[in-house]
Amino acid sequence: DGVAVLPAPQNLSVQSTNMKHLLMWSPVIVPGEIIYYFVEYQGEYESLYMSHIWIPSSWCSPTECPECDITDDITATVPYKLRVRATLGSQTSAWSTLPHPFNRNSTTLTPPVMEVTKDGFHLVIKLEDLGPQFEFLVAYWRREPGAKEHVQVVRSRGIPVHLETMEPGAAYCVKVRTFVKVIGRHSPSSQAECVKVQGETLPL
Amino acid sequence: HIAEDTSDLLQHVKFQSSNFENILTWDSGPDSASDVVYSVEYKRYGEREWLAKEGCQRITWKSCNLTTETGNLTELYYARVTALSAGGQSATKMTDRFSSLQHTTIKPPDVTCIPKVRSIQMIVHPTSTPVRAGDGHRLTLEDVFPDLFYRLELQVNHTYQMHLGGKQRDYEFIGLTPDTEFLGTIMIFVPTWSKESAPYVCRVKTLPDRTWT
Amino acid sequence: GQEFQFGPCRVEGVALQELWEAFRAMKDIVQAKDNITSVRLLRKEVLQNVSDTESCYLLRALLKFYLNTVFKNYLDKAADSRIRKSFSTLANNFFVIASKLQPSQEKEMFSISESARRRFLLFQRAFKQLDIQAAQTKAFGEVDILLTWMERFYQ
Repeated sequence: DGVAVLPAPQNLSVQSTNMKHLLMWSPVIVPGEIIYYFVEYQGEYESLYMSHIWIPSSWCSPTECPECDITDDITATVPYKLRVRATLGSQTSAWSTLPHPFNRNSTTLTPPVMEVTKDGFHLVIKLEDLGPQFEFLVAYWRREPGAKEHVQVVRSRGIPVHLETMEPGAAYCVKVRTFVKVIGRHSPSSQAECVKVQGETLPL
Repeated sequence: HIAEDTSDLLQHVKFQSSNFENILTWDSGPDSASDVVYSVEYKRYGEREWLAKEGCQRITWKSCNLTTETGNLTELYYARVTALSAGGQSATKMTDRFSSLQHTTIKPPDVTCIPKVRSIQMIVHPTSTPVRAGDGHRLTLEDVFPDLFYRLELQVNHTYQMHLGGKQRDYEFIGLTPDTEFLGTIMIFVPTWSKESAPYVCRVKTLPDRTWT
Repeated sequence: GQEFQFGPCRVEGVALQELWEAFRAMKDIVQAKDNITSVRLLRKEVLQNVSDTESCYLLRALLKFYLNTVFKNYLDKAADSRIRKSFSTLANNFFVIASKLQPSQEKEMFSISESARRRFLLFQRAFKQLDIQAAQTKAFGEVDILLTWMERFYQ
């Protein structure tokens, strides 16, 4: 190992939204020099059974930016320890470890973005692509007193999909939320959007 | 005694499996002679004895159907090929451990697409496999994979799709415009094994609406 | 969502496809190192005709063995980083499953738990008859047999 003269990266934190996990830290600055960072992780199993084993991150061993997408490394719903060190040539900093282990079940789930349109009598919805871990629970109803709410699980992502064949002259409303199986959690629901068969999208 | 390098006699010994038809294939080396004969043996993982495959002894072609011999879904198998040249050179190579449940790919389903005036009916026909139940009858893919389901997509004027899906075999896309062409694709999914068939594709046109003529 | 139901033991938060994906990434490398093709540790007598209730006891014993004996020593030798990443996925998800398997310890369940123990001992005895390193490599290469058996309890 190179002599540890470089300062260790500081202020490690993880920002996780919709199961995309980003490890960030304050950059180590040496004027006129490029600093490379190495990121490693340890799941709960490794830290309990083989604490000397750390696994290099898939995308950031090394990286120049003071952040690392660790989504592909977090593949179980257990606490993960994460550490980063800086290198400059043969100079190597000490490891900095994330203060609290990160668990993917703490990710922030946001209401999904949707686009509601119509084609003739067909009610069509397009949902953003959030990856294979997401299911979309689409609720739609005919906008009239006592109307029944229908719920459909939609898995196709990024493609406009037919939801319902509408009755002439009726208005239909749609809202959607996501469900992530591996952490068993839902997102909040999106705002409802309504369309009328002959009219334009109606404001709420 | 320096071992003779006979690797150019034989390479790429592997199983190719589709809908549980398990075919052993191999290649000869880039510059191996044409007078080479091949003999095939197989065995279950965990057993000692290799069994000769009847019908694939001293053959000149480079494939052998081991569907029957490797038909037990709870077993794993190995096969090996021995190549023998007229000049007395020989080489033996073994496959990786093979499980038809894990390795088989799924062929597109067999579907009948029936256009009507404002709808298109799609009937999926069951897919038979060579796998046999205890009583000897042949199992369908649905029998083998309890979580198998069909996914049907109808492309509507290049802007959006209609989706239907489930375990049943009879589907109907409704609310369509008469006398219009649609593209239907039907696939088989087996989620727990992450298997997905290539699509069956049918291009159909709804019938003209003659009610007012 | 998708979950395992091993008799009374329910396990959520594990995607079986992720485990298969992890094992497939290293299957050929790991199984190629096992050249004892005449021995199978997870034989039919260990896994076949296991009742739902018994499955929780049996899987718990098998997973604890894998976590404590097979995985624990295997990674030191697995320098290949592709294996380390897949290994970590498997080990951590097995750890999640094992921690959620809490079979009943009541007296009337003794015969079922005893049957599960006999099955596990069949596996363990076969394991001990091999050189430790060969046994770990073989057991690791048989994770697909374990996953195939677990499929039955996945809903």
